[in-house]
Amino acid sequence: MKEKVVLASSLCKQYQISNLTIEALKNLDMEVEKGEFISIHGPSGAGKTTLLNIIGGLDKPTSGKIVVFGHDLGTYDENFLATFRCAYVGFVFQSYNLISTLTAIENIAFAVELAGWPGDRIGKRSENLLKLVGLEHRANHFPAQLSGGEQQRVAFARALANDPPLLLADEPTGNLDVETGLEIVRILEKTKSEGKTVIVATHDERILKLANRTLRLHDGRIIDTNE
Amino acid sequence: MSEISFPIKDLTRRKFQTGLTILGLTICASATIFIVIFGSNIGFEVAFLTVGGRLTTGFFNIFSRFILVVGLLNIIAGAFITSFLVYMAMSERVRDIGVMKSAGCLSGSILGYFITELSILVFLSCIAGTIFGIGAYYISINSLNALGFSISQVLSLWAIILIFLILIFVSHIFGALPIIKAAEVKPAQALSPLYSLGTTFELGRTVPSKLGFTFKVAYRNLVRRKSATRQAIICLAVVLTLTTVTIAGGMIARQTTTNYVERAIGRDVVLVGHPTLTGRYVNLLSQFFEAKEMGPINYLNSDFFISESLVLKLGNISGVHKVDPRLVLGASVLEIPGIIPDPHDPKQAIIIGDSRRDEALILGVKPEEVVNEWLIMGRVLSKADQKSTIIGDSLALEMFDNPQNQSIKVFEEIFDIVGVCLDPLNNGKVVYMPLNILSTALGQTGYNLLFLKIDPSQRSQVLAEIENELVGKDLEVVELNEILGKHVNFLDHIWSFVMFLPLFSLVTATLCLLSYLMLSIAGQQREFGIMRALGAKPRRVIKIIFMQALLITLISGAIGISVGLFVTFAFLIPEPVISHYTLVSVTGWLLLALSLLCLSSLYPAMKAVKKSVVSAIYSA
Repeated sequence: MKEKVVLASSLCKQYQISNLTIEALKNLDMEVEKGEFISIHGPSGAGKTTLLNIIGGLDKPTSGKIVVFGHDLGTYDENFLATFRCAYVGFVFQSYNLISTLTAIENIAFAVELAGWPGDRIGKRSENLLKLVGLEHRANHFPAQLSGGEQQRVAFARALANDPPLLLADEPTGNLDVETGLEIVRILEKTKSEGKTVIVATHDERILKLANRTLRLHDGRIIDTNE
Repeated sequence: MSEISFPIKDLTRRKFQTGLTILGLTICASATIFIVIFGSNIGFEVAFLTVGGRLTTGFFNIFSRFILVVGLLNIIAGAFITSFLVYMAMSERVRDIGVMKSAGCLSGSILGYFITELSILVFLSCIAGTIFGIGAYYISINSLNALGFSISQVLSLWAIILIFLILIFVSHIFGALPIIKAAEVKPAQALSPLYSLGTTFELGRTVPSKLGFTFKVAYRNLVRRKSATRQAIICLAVVLTLTTVTIAGGMIARQTTTNYVERAIGRDVVLVGHPTLTGRYVNLLSQFFEAKEMGPINYLNSDFFISESLVLKLGNISGVHKVDPRLVLGASVLEIPGIIPDPHDPKQAIIIGDSRRDEALILGVKPEEVVNEWLIMGRVLSKADQKSTIIGDSLALEMFDNPQNQSIKVFEEIFDIVGVCLDPLNNGKVVYMPLNILSTALGQTGYNLLFLKIDPSQRSQVLAEIENELVGKDLEVVELNEILGKHVNFLDHIWSFVMFLPLFSLVTATLCLLSYLMLSIAGQQREFGIMRALGAKPRRVIKIIFMQALLITLISGAIGISVGLFVTFAFLIPEPVISHYTLVSVTGWLLLALSLLCLSSLYPAMKAVKKSVVSAIYSA
């Protein structure tokens, strides 16, 4: 039996906006095994981003339990969660979310540094990651000077900086055209082949095809699972 | 949408920024109004001391110049802070302007909307600030009076109206600039992140790459918001100039004025004379801090004279360093006009002065024996002087236009004025002249007062010996150190009023920095969220914000402190006296002020990291 990387039980998440309570996740249960490639899809507002945020330790559930790599994330403080993210999680956002004041290589180096790499190896590691996504010629460009596809590739390189066992990607091709999206799919394919656990929220058919399992989320609940 | 409904909706939509801008402007306006009315009140109080017969005109001038400079700097600082806050608030609208223009809105309408918004912000804040400023003034005056001061409440309405109008005017000028600039920008340009964030192209080359990410991110964020950062630095530099002038200037001026008094009265000086005359002399000195009515006295009463043999005996006592016998009396003095070259036409001469008359204390002294070391404009009397005098500051400033180019008539003799001294005796209405000249003019030889400079380490012994020599004579010995102490206390009392001001300028500076940081953090919130999502601990974000505050504070501190010290030494205090202790105190206080400024950044920093990672990333 494979190791359980993610274990969610009765997961609920509510947001309060003025007098309105929005239930983003409702009693959600899920398990992810090591090395699995999970895709999550569903309509806008189904709770995909919220689920990824909770698995990545960016957000805490209102109730229920979320255990990732044996850590019950609902019980930890912000400092521990930061350490946890450094050690286990790589995150790719739909809107790239690069740090605008750092160049492409610095964005990656920042994450490498946070992951605790020794100072003399940060540069080399960052260059290798940039090469991996084919952007070594854009190393000293700032995010505002990169195209959407290039920014997303840098974001992938940054997410892989700490060599995370779990990669979370939220609509990684959502803002990209078909051609540019293909490059992202290739990176995801490579990540999968390295045996990392990947959870992707997506509507992109090409990514869905890569998945071992596809979860269909609707109104905060998993309504369908395709193996 | 109507001209008024859009601005109101826009302001309420940006609750945080609107609140922060209104709060910042209100505090700034209230601090400016407070400091100006409080400062003018203190100025009035100090002026009242002169009008009421205390202080000397020279000392009053030092205080009033100080309060004037501080007040002026406050108005400038208030205007800068106001303009900065408005600029920051309006800069945030640039993107919206781009959106509106791309939707087809005319530039004129856009200008109308945002200028109305600006006016609402400015008027609300200035009205609230004025009310709070007046409130703070009454609270402060009542608190100080409860602590034992006695400051009257004189609310200068003209000052309030003037400051209110200046703030409104400056806010509109500076606030309108980014709006006009943004309204002229092409829609595509306004919507581009390069425009709203500033160009980042050159950033990579400006910071050595080996510096840590904390510094790099902090520095680049400041450079990226070049315009706002520059405004923040200018703004803080002005406020820190003010803080330096009040802290450094205040402390140095305090020590300097104390030193002037010490030099004028003399430390470790004892006075020997007939009790009536020594009492009179002490009263004349006390006029500086306590107005007293004094009846007529015949200074030349034969009972008051001290014999030459006694002077010699007292001078021979071991521990007596200097013997300064004087002939003192009151007399009427007359201003004699002078003739100087016309400054506009050096070939022509003009007459300066009038024929003003006043009562003064005339002191005949042996120039080489004088125990006083006044702060003097011009020179002291020398042994060779015949028809020369030095006069006190009040006499010089109240009776003469240009004393050193005029003459003074005493006992029907005309004397040159070779120097003007700062002297608390008789409130600065004094005339010092060579003793032999005075004796000749009066037809009266001898001395009626004797000043002895003694060795403080042998004080008791020397005093005992002096008293021993005075046994059987109708003379007494009075130590002037006690009255000197009262002078120093009085000056301390006035300076403690004035030194109350830096506290408020520091609060204003802190608010200025906080406003900049809060607006800056609001713009960086998403990136801080991303950093934390990548695994950066909250401490890292706090460090970045602190580093930004530190950089701004250090740059503006370097400018503000240099300018402040220049203003202090160039305009405020003639012949400043700076002891090692004052230097250490000034440095300590300034460092404390800068540290407090930097530490204040921890508040918005802590606030920023309290926000959850998700809300930081998605709500920004």
